[in-house]
Amino acid sequence: MAKALLSSILLLLSIACFGQKKYTISGTVKDQLTGETLIGATIRIKELPQSGTITNGYGFYSMFIPEGEYTLTFTYTGYQPVEQHISLHKDQKINILMPLNNSLKEVVISADRPNNDNIASPQMGAEKLNMSQVNQVPVLLGEKDILKTLSLLPGVKSSGEGNTGFYVRGGASDQNLILLDEATVYNASHFFGFFSTFNSDAVKDVTLYKGGMPAEFGGRLSSVLDIKMNEGNNKDYTVQGGLGLISSRIKVEGPIVKDKGSFMISARRTYIDLFLNFASDSTVRGSSIYFYDLNAKANYHFDDKNAIYISGYFGKDVLALKNTFGTDWGNSTGTVRFNHLFNDRLFSNTSLVFSNYNYAISSFLSNATFKATSQITDLNVKEDLSYSMGDNHMLKFGFNILHHDISPGDITADQSSSFNSVHTEKRYGFENAIYVSDEWKASNSLTFLYGLRMSGLFLLGPGTFKTYDAQGNTTISTTYASGQPVKSYINLEPRFSGSYMLDEKNSIKFSYNRNTQNIHLLSNSTSNTPTDLYVMSSNNVKPEIADQVSTGWFRNFADNVFEFSTEIYYKWLQNQIDYKDGAQLLVNQDVESQLVYGSGRAYGIEFFLKKKYGRFNGWIGYTLSKTEDKFTAINNGKYFPATQDRTHDISVVGIYKLNERWSFSSDFVYSTGNAVTFPSGKYNIGGLTTFSYSERNGYRMPSTNRLDIGATLEGKQHKKYHSSWTFGIYNVYAHRNPYIINFQDSKTVPNTTEAQEISIFATRIPSITWNFKF
Amino acid sequence: MSMRTTGIKYYFIVLLSVFMFSSCKKVINLDLGNVSGELVIEGNITNVPGAQSVTLSRNVPFTTTNVYPAVTGATVFIKDDKGHQYPLTEGPLGTYSIATAAGVSGNNYTLSVITGGKTYTASSTMPGALQLDSISAKPNYFDASSGEKVITVHFQDTPGTPNQYRFVMYVNKVQVKSIFAFDDEFIDGKYVNLDLQQNDIKIYAKDTVTVEMQCIDKPIYKYWYTLAQQQANNPGGQVAPANPPTNITPTTLGYFSAHTTQSVTVVLK
Repeated sequence: MAKALLSSILLLLSIACFGQKKYTISGTVKDQLTGETLIGATIRIKELPQSGTITNGYGFYSMFIPEGEYTLTFTYTGYQPVEQHISLHKDQKINILMPLNNSLKEVVISADRPNNDNIASPQMGAEKLNMSQVNQVPVLLGEKDILKTLSLLPGVKSSGEGNTGFYVRGGASDQNLILLDEATVYNASHFFGFFSTFNSDAVKDVTLYKGGMPAEFGGRLSSVLDIKMNEGNNKDYTVQGGLGLISSRIKVEGPIVKDKGSFMISARRTYIDLFLNFASDSTVRGSSIYFYDLNAKANYHFDDKNAIYISGYFGKDVLALKNTFGTDWGNSTGTVRFNHLFNDRLFSNTSLVFSNYNYAISSFLSNATFKATSQITDLNVKEDLSYSMGDNHMLKFGFNILHHDISPGDITADQSSSFNSVHTEKRYGFENAIYVSDEWKASNSLTFLYGLRMSGLFLLGPGTFKTYDAQGNTTISTTYASGQPVKSYINLEPRFSGSYMLDEKNSIKFSYNRNTQNIHLLSNSTSNTPTDLYVMSSNNVKPEIADQVSTGWFRNFADNVFEFSTEIYYKWLQNQIDYKDGAQLLVNQDVESQLVYGSGRAYGIEFFLKKKYGRFNGWIGYTLSKTEDKFTAINNGKYFPATQDRTHDISVVGIYKLNERWSFSSDFVYSTGNAVTFPSGKYNIGGLTTFSYSERNGYRMPSTNRLDIGATLEGKQHKKYHSSWTFGIYNVYAHRNPYIINFQDSKTVPNTTEAQEISIFATRIPSITWNFKF
Repeated sequence: MSMRTTGIKYYFIVLLSVFMFSSCKKVINLDLGNVSGELVIEGNITNVPGAQSVTLSRNVPFTTTNVYPAVTGATVFIKDDKGHQYPLTEGPLGTYSIATAAGVSGNNYTLSVITGGKTYTASSTMPGALQLDSISAKPNYFDASSGEKVITVHFQDTPGTPNQYRFVMYVNKVQVKSIFAFDDEFIDGKYVNLDLQQNDIKIYAKDTVTVEMQCIDKPIYKYWYTLAQQQANNPGGQVAPANPPTNITPTTLGYFSAHTTQSVTVVLK
């Protein structure tokens, strides 16, 4: 397979080398005011309709086209289009500064300059979030949040009320790869999922791939969320920030050397804990409850060919009850990237990436003190190259070597404690990949994006590795020396997508891709808990595999002002993980003995109508889907609905700019309730009413729906500073959405039982934030 | 320990609710299935000389009253691994018992129940007894100023051997509707001070509190631990509940446990 693909690529390469004399146009596209590079800006050539391209993650583009006279058009959502005429008789560098589009008038994209990338691109199942929309969509307590905004897209479902966890096309929440400047963020939530770790002040670009996964990404089954931090203004120093209900944030950015390098530092901290000081209870007064985030980034462009980027993130949650319990958890990431242009057509990026997630739980109770800790640390070396092979081929290839270092859990306790100190062996392994892909514009209307990724997992000693039977008993136990291979898996992941343009406004697309996952989250709770434990594929746990096919119809209306798309997908899932009854996952050396394995399938259809431009913009998304799991020991080995199976899911987002100062926004969501297991009978055991169950996930939580509204008031224009107010109301009609249902003995009618529904955020929750910039 | 994190999380949610939001509870009607009439076997044999009994009943739909039909006319006997067999005689309300007997630590007991043409068997080994030294009370750490108390049990775990325990608590003779099941995975060989956290009955000074300590075997620990996990107030989702793993074959609801028992009663000051 790999061989065939490589030889066909070589064949294409040789074809591309013949023909008339060709030259390269390359350059960088940036924001005129701040010098921030623009990711995914479109470059089109009027005279060569099939030869457009987009800027890469560093704002760089390159096209290799025949000599001639051309008109280039640069477009980017939210910016005014820029046109440039060139006479191409030698290689040319064209750097573009694009001005923001602040005008209220609809930007009419004339028919001869269509911005119809969504139609033409073979990429499907990808959604790019517009940060200015993220900042306007109303959210809980005014904490603008990319993950919550993301869950308003079709095919993406929030894992729960006010929760940042998300499910993509039936995948579990640990089957999403969340990357912040290429570093894996293992736990992307604060406060048990109520807020995400991404401070949107520091975020520049968010792209979610839910299908048609490009070959440069891998490692998770259902999606890749690629988040890139702001680089910092390389023209001027600015300070901006905001005071919100629960948190405050500040960002400082500016040039290191004007037009050559810049920095950005952004911080956020909550202050709920200040309220605790007003509590009457002395224990509550002495408690801690807060989180903070720190993002920093700097870059320097040595010359046109070499640039370095350094970025980092550090965040922590602290929750402690005086003299009783405490827990803290957090992520830290660091990325150093080096861009090098070998020539105008060969772009290279080399990255060194660090990522860590850790948690600690402490008990301060007298005679029962202990501290339990766990962590995962990754070191990743990555090389990504892109080569513009002609006006119709863009080749990407690269590799990465990722080292995992996992401490499943340790308990430390002193002599007087009721607890023993416990140590579980660390686990080491490499998760490596090599890939190649080509985007081939076969004709004016036919484009292919195809590639192959080979991924490998190499689990290494030292340590004692056990193999368990179905009952969880040890069958083999082998001790390995340091660096000795324990188990390895190699998987080939073909990726293919194609688009066929019926006309300028219509296209159909198809994609098939295989994804594998070698790092698995073990958590026997459906919500985000800090006690997430990751295990690698091993002698017991096989790599999870997903095969997805999808096809879609893409249609633009009214000069590309409206975009409509519908996609159908079907996914086959292998080697899915579930837990045995009464599984104990915490600080357990034999944690893999607690697992059972099965398969799954997910299918659905998504509809998406978006208005991209104008005073009024927004979207409507609807998903009809089914997600099922199959485990031998559950439901007699028959398919049953997965927890995240929600038949209907609707999101409506609208943003209206009334005038230069006021804009309004709202969002509405409706979804079928999660599949859950409710009792089908009851009996008495040990003097307690006990419930009996007949099938897994045979019932539904009641459906949820909610409307949120928001408004932004821009302050009067001042020369030196700018300020704005953001107002919001979460859950406008105070709907009681179910959070959990408890089954219990009735408190009011003796000798009967009742189902008690608990709703949180069951009332209107107002918010107000003051933002400033100077 | 998972109970502790759950506790912290629950506390956090409560905090959020109190300070910022309103959470609300209401009783709702759900269209629940009706799987009833399944056999429930609850059998216990303890080390304390006296009546040993097995109760047979059937489960009922969720919506009916908590009255469980007794299963009568069954043949019930217990065998030990020393070759003795004890027939149990039927009493009222599906209770089958031996008037005076006591189990011995280390012995394995097999329960046989013949009813409706089927024979159900389950075996359990009675573990060695541990001494429950005392129980004590301290202020509830979640709400110290309320005067509420938390009960702590104190005992010495035997080092080197796996032990499992279950505690049953009564406040003024009313059983607390919480399951307290622990093993010694993290406390092997320690002098143990364990808090019995619960939100069912608020305990104050002058209350009479009785705690029964049972030393149970591993399968029975798994049974109670699974039930306890399902019971845990775990907001935002919990393990999909299922009938806990029973030691009875063919599978039916309930369990058979050979365990030691010892109770301590205190009147709180």
